[in-house]
Amino acid sequence: MKERIARSAGCDQFDAELAAYLEGESRPQVVAHARQCGYCAATLSDLEQIRMSARELPWEEPSPAVWANLRAALEAEDAFRVPGDRWAWLGHLGLLRHPAPVGALASLAILGTLFTLSPARLEPVRTSEAGLVAGLGENAPAVMSVDEAAWARTIHELEDTYRAREPFLEPELKVTYRQSLDSLNGSIRECLTSLQAEPTNTLARDYLLDAYSQKAELLTSAIEFSGR
Amino acid sequence: MSPQKSPTTKAASEAQLIARAQQGEESAFAALFETHKRRVYSLCLRMTGNTAEAEDLTQEAFLQLFRKISTFRGESAFSTWLHRLAVNVVLMHLRKKGLQQVSLDEVDTSQEEPVKRDYGDDDRRLLGSIDRITLLRAISNLPAGYRTVFVLHDIEGYEHNEIAEIMNCSVGNSKSQLHKARMKLREGLRGDRSRMGFSAPVAAGDPRKEEQ
Repeated sequence: MKERIARSAGCDQFDAELAAYLEGESRPQVVAHARQCGYCAATLSDLEQIRMSARELPWEEPSPAVWANLRAALEAEDAFRVPGDRWAWLGHLGLLRHPAPVGALASLAILGTLFTLSPARLEPVRTSEAGLVAGLGENAPAVMSVDEAAWARTIHELEDTYRAREPFLEPELKVTYRQSLDSLNGSIRECLTSLQAEPTNTLARDYLLDAYSQKAELLTSAIEFSGR
Repeated sequence: MSPQKSPTTKAASEAQLIARAQQGEESAFAALFETHKRRVYSLCLRMTGNTAEAEDLTQEAFLQLFRKISTFRGESAFSTWLHRLAVNVVLMHLRKKGLQQVSLDEVDTSQEEPVKRDYGDDDRRLLGSIDRITLLRAISNLPAGYRTVFVLHDIEGYEHNEIAEIMNCSVGNSKSQLHKARMKLREGLRGDRSRMGFSAPVAAGDPRKEEQ
């Protein structure tokens, strides 16, 4: 069934008053017209939906490299007249209640270097493995790049280790880690779903790599804590 | 789990952190960064649409903040001060990149004709909520000027008079650019949805439709 649209004078008035209505001004004609006109109703509904979705966008997490670079720049400028514990800033992470061990950071640095400098040397994983990592099971899309697949496999291995050591974590810490992992798994799932629908979505790919990086960081630190 | 801090306690502890940072205490810098990094980074990311640029700009904003922190006297909220500083850092960056659209005062469009829609298209609406990635991508595809106004108003919650001051344009121009940004965003999102087959038809009974 094909539909033909006929524009009316009411639509012109709707267009003229729509911006003001969305700014909160009283424009009864806008609502009245939208009740009668499917085309304008769709426009109004979409714009309200966009506004609401924009307001609900969650804050994003920058990579740990931002603080590392910032700290180095401040140190170079001699900004720290009262130097703190070198790793004390990690204690402020909501996730961690205690300073993270140097070992976890070293592991991350190695991971980061490995993936940044020589991703091609890493073999890709099967997408089913990636799906397990992301909680997608066998429905994982075959959309992962070599980098993403390498991250997925590393995380899979870290998860195996974490699962074995989880019972040794303090209960409160275990809950915190579990919540953070669930949240990151949700992000990974969201990215993979987007990539499945549109493999060229570069933003989804960026977010996926960010989420993998954060998850690797989280798991590494959890494993370190469980061994303390 | 630790109990949630009350706003008063939070403000008091932030004031202490600022005072300690003014003395050059490293852990105070770190704590301030930790508290505000997500909001600043999100702003930078949404205004640039690029994670690497956003991280560089976040770093630059905090660097400028920490350089100036000794001048902070608490007349305004620290977060407001930081946020405005971050906006300026991003705008400066975009202007350096030569994105002329960032300047809204070049062409005052506030008195222009209302935005016309293309009636050749179908009248289906976006279905349900818009997922984060799709929305962020559509925002990043907006021209820089539209994107800036949209991010500042619809995401960050700035008022038009504040945007007009930041962008050095009229309030009417800010409103006009925002509306155009939303319409363009809708166009982009509808394009995405159509490609993926996600649109929903409007209810039957639209008096302007005739079957062919």
